[in-house]
Amino acid sequence: MSPAVTLLSNRVTPVGARSRLLVALICCGLTAAAQNSTQLKASTAFRIRVTHLVGFEDAKNNCSGALSIQNDSLQFQKTRKSGAHIKISSVRDIFLGEQSRQVGGLPLTLGEAAAPFGSGRVVSLFAHKKYDTFSFEYVDSNGGIHGAVFQLKKGQAAIVKKELIAHGVTISSFRVQSGTQGATEVGHVDK
Amino acid sequence: MWTNKCGSSIALVVALVAATFALPGRLSGQTFPVTSSDRSGGFATQWSVQVDQVDTGNLDISYSFQIAIYENLVFELKKTKQFEQVFRDGDIRAGEFSNLLVLKTTVEKYTPGSETRRAVTTVSGATKLTVRSQLLTREGKVVLERSVNGNVRFFGSNLRATHNLAHNIAKTIKQTSLSGSGQPPAILTGQL
Repeated sequence: MSPAVTLLSNRVTPVGARSRLLVALICCGLTAAAQNSTQLKASTAFRIRVTHLVGFEDAKNNCSGALSIQNDSLQFQKTRKSGAHIKISSVRDIFLGEQSRQVGGLPLTLGEAAAPFGSGRVVSLFAHKKYDTFSFEYVDSNGGIHGAVFQLKKGQAAIVKKELIAHGVTISSFRVQSGTQGATEVGHVDK
Repeated sequence: MWTNKCGSSIALVVALVAATFALPGRLSGQTFPVTSSDRSGGFATQWSVQVDQVDTGNLDISYSFQIAIYENLVFELKKTKQFEQVFRDGDIRAGEFSNLLVLKTTVEKYTPGSETRRAVTTVSGATKLTVRSQLLTREGKVVLERSVNGNVRFFGSNLRATHNLAHNIAKTIKQTSLSGSGQPPAILTGQL
């Protein structure tokens, strides 16, 4: 080999190594970014504000909290620390409904009652809000059937149902038939 | 001689007294083991109950109502402390209990109310529920059969009717057990 060629090859080799290194770095960067986005997606668990009406494990009735899906469990947390949870695989059926409830609670009810000349009744006409109800049935480790009812803002129950189905909840054929009952439940809206 | 006679008669009396006390206990233990605990309270103290899911028949009742009736029933029955154990429908542990009663609830009548109408008119818009509650033995013998109501007339959401209904059912069972002499297989029918 001539000295000129040797010199050229010596020059070319570091440049090739650099470019290879650069390509490798870019690839690593892209992979890491993709991995990060996947992890981020996994860590942003589904979470929604609800009111627990009845039935979910040992959670108190008529208490507000957050319903979340984390890995394979459905959790209801009144506070950040404490909460009740069940396995998503134990959920058997889901039903959606709708109901109208008075806002303002007991203070407004008392205020309406105390208002003169029955004017509180007029307030009652406008002090109602429509909510979604999200009901589901699940089984415990002994095979005992449980049911839970949650109240959500209008339009959110369908989102929770979608999330649960995405997490593998299957609805039995019998219940799908009675899913029309779920549709009927929508018909039980207070008007 | 006199001492021997006296001793034997005392021994005879003691034996008789012992036999008098021991025999009835043994007999009752052989025939119906539950009776010994019957004296301590109502029949339900030694019985367990399994709450079946609510049968709505052909009535058009929302699923949230069915769940609420079922869950409130389990809660209210536990609260009465009349039963040794309160099992849910499908619980495999219920099979281990020989003294098991099954509570069947069938909805007979349902009037969907309106919270708004109740608030505005006061006199209309009540949510009314009427169910037939049956307490059956494992063999299917009806122990208690009652028609029970649960209503919301003035304040509260529609689902409150289910709470009132469950409370009334538990109350009926409690009253029946307390008035009973400890023999569950007496059919009691009526309306609350």
